[in-house]
Amino acid sequence: MRKLRENPLLLSAVIAIVALVASFWLLNHPRSTLPFLLTLGALLAALLQPIPRWLKVLIGGAILLLVIPAAGFKNSFLFELGIQTGIYAAMALGLNVVVGLAGLLDLGYAAFFAVGAYTWAIFGSPQANEFMPWKIFPLPGEYFYLFMLVAVVVAAITGVVIGSPALRLKGDYLAIVTLGLGEVVRVLANNLDQPINITNGPQGITPIQRPPIDWFIALLDRFGLHLSRAEAYPLFFYLLVLVIIGIVTLVNVRLDRSRFGRAWIAIREDETAARAMGIPLFPTKLIAFATGASFSGAMGALFAAKQLYVSPESFTLIQSIMILVMVILGGMGSIPGAILGAATVTILNVDLLKSASDYLNDLRNAGFVLDLGFFKYNFANLPNQLEPAKYERMVFGLIMILMMIYRPEGIIPERRHVLEMKKEEA
Amino acid sequence: MSEAPILEVERVTKTFGGLVAVNDVSVSIPRGMIFAVIGPNGAGKTTFFNLLTGIYKPDKGRILFDGEEITGRDPAWIAARGMARTFQNIRLFGSMTAVENVMVARHVHTKTSYADALLRTPRFQREEKKALERSLELLEYMQLGHRAHELAKNLPYGEQRRLEIARALALEPKLLLLDEPAAGMNPQETEDLQRRIVGIRDDLGVTILLIEHDMQLVMSISERIAVLDYGSKILEGTPEEVQNDPRVIEAYLGRGAAEGAS
Ligand SMILES: Nc1ncnc2c1ncn2[C@@H]1O[C@H](COP(=O)(O)OP(=O)(O)OP(=O)(O)O)[C@@H](O)[C@H]1O
Ligand SMILES: [Mg+2]
Repeated sequence: MRKLRENPLLLSAVIAIVALVASFWLLNHPRSTLPFLLTLGALLAALLQPIPRWLKVLIGGAILLLVIPAAGFKNSFLFELGIQTGIYAAMALGLNVVVGLAGLLDLGYAAFFAVGAYTWAIFGSPQANEFMPWKIFPLPGEYFYLFMLVAVVVAAITGVVIGSPALRLKGDYLAIVTLGLGEVVRVLANNLDQPINITNGPQGITPIQRPPIDWFIALLDRFGLHLSRAEAYPLFFYLLVLVIIGIVTLVNVRLDRSRFGRAWIAIREDETAARAMGIPLFPTKLIAFATGASFSGAMGALFAAKQLYVSPESFTLIQSIMILVMVILGGMGSIPGAILGAATVTILNVDLLKSASDYLNDLRNAGFVLDLGFFKYNFANLPNQLEPAKYERMVFGLIMILMMIYRPEGIIPERRHVLEMKKEEA
Repeated sequence: MSEAPILEVERVTKTFGGLVAVNDVSVSIPRGMIFAVIGPNGAGKTTFFNLLTGIYKPDKGRILFDGEEITGRDPAWIAARGMARTFQNIRLFGSMTAVENVMVARHVHTKTSYADALLRTPRFQREEKKALERSLELLEYMQLGHRAHELAKNLPYGEQRRLEIARALALEPKLLLLDEPAAGMNPQETEDLQRRIVGIRDDLGVTILLIEHDMQLVMSISERIAVLDYGSKILEGTPEEVQNDPRVIEAYLGRGAAEGAS
């Protein structure tokens, strides 16, 4: 392994070959989990290992824009996985600003996701006719893009409203208050169907408009790819999510490397020292909080459009905790860490646990008997409660505990941008 | 205006429960002076600094900095007015590099908005470059140039102390508060530090308020000294006056020692 690192040419070659092998394997077996994981591993290695930039772009571009879409046409679940990973990655990046950089433990983060989702859900469906004087709803799908920006603004304002009382508290108190206020948002969504029906209560809102993609289908047509609307939407959302991840990452990096990012880290490391260096505590924290909220809000709008349906059920405490697990798993304050954490947890959650469930179910249905001589077990007797798909919460708990014990700084620890600074200096 | 003292403290008192940590202390510090505050352990010196920098609010009394009342103001506001400090128990931002630590204190002097940072405007680039250059300059000034890109927590103790001073200087302060800057330094380092402190006053025109237990250092560079004991100022004067005053010896060594010495 060390030899590999010292020889960039060899390293590049190995990564390129693994990427190539994994890609072909995935294209031939789009439904298997193993080639998919290997492909992602190759992608990750290409992005994180010290190989030439052009090779990173080549491997990253090929896997994200060619291999996964191509495999996705044979197994649309891959698109779903990609979209969900993307949505969570963007949210993890947002929470990373709040928890990772500024050190503010926010347990109500899903509230902003809900605010963004309802912003588009209400006006992108007939729901708004219930309480608006003009019966012009749903707004046409083109408005979706505008509403992503509206969702950013509304979520940021919600962040300021929730943050203003909460951020005067510290540590555990902050965590508990954000948890409570996050629940308030969900409860509001659940109950604002009376006296005026704004959110349609527990039934949720449907159908929600999607952005029109005729232009996208026409564009693909010109490249000889003839897709039906139902086939094109997953690809469209997948690509849209990639674009958004790009933007969100850029925003994250730029803030991190500005006086704001430095101020956040200073506050995280030592509030008293930060204040003594002229950093006003409350406004600086509020900016971090609103920034994180706006990321979540944007993804909420996208989520509403993708799902066609929102209900209060999608924005529970477990969602907030899941995103927190992603940030901690990846490495607090680390941008690639947040993305990796989001990918790991999402894949674990929607793919691996489910695959394991399916596998156990097959064994059960087949009445498989495990016979070790001293130990005999008939899988037909396996109780339903043992289904791995139900382990979600336990898995989050385990991840948290194991990370805290063995690697508290995360898989890809935060690394201050030492190299870039050196370059600028020269 | 510039003849007026940089700092005027009028009868400040601070209590913690029943303990009077700072008791009715008044002091006036002229511009450009190196002024020391000494006193035995627990005398209230650090608490006095915390009152000046806004970390604690005085129960009674007034503090005027550069002609402006700052009593009870937010520490960040006071720092932005030009009062910088170091901490007795080093408080660096450990997971940041040395130069980033210094850049944090450039916050108030960096004129970039949130939008500038997002869009990387020419102004952002310019201001960021300025902040970086000034910070590297200050590191160089504190003889830490070679450490610029190392994490603060990985620096040896003496260098961490110097880094704290570099960081404080990045505020471009009018008044610099040093809380036991020589603590834990070897004689060579202490001597370098001594020259550096005088340099900061002479080169940068910064008034210096110094807490220090190293009497050799205090006596050789301070122009005036105030002595605190059990929260009260028992004496103020030149190093000669303070050195020869039985009350000081008494405060440090107890009554019997003072009698024996006289
Ligand atoms: N936050 C606080 N809460 C309660 N008591 C405090 C607090 N800060 C300081 N004290 C007490 O006030 C007194 C003065 O402490 P201070 O730290 O100001 O002394 P000092 O002169 O700096 O001493 P040293 O030379 O040991 O640094 C001590 O008795 C200390 O225990
Ligand atoms: Mg002290």
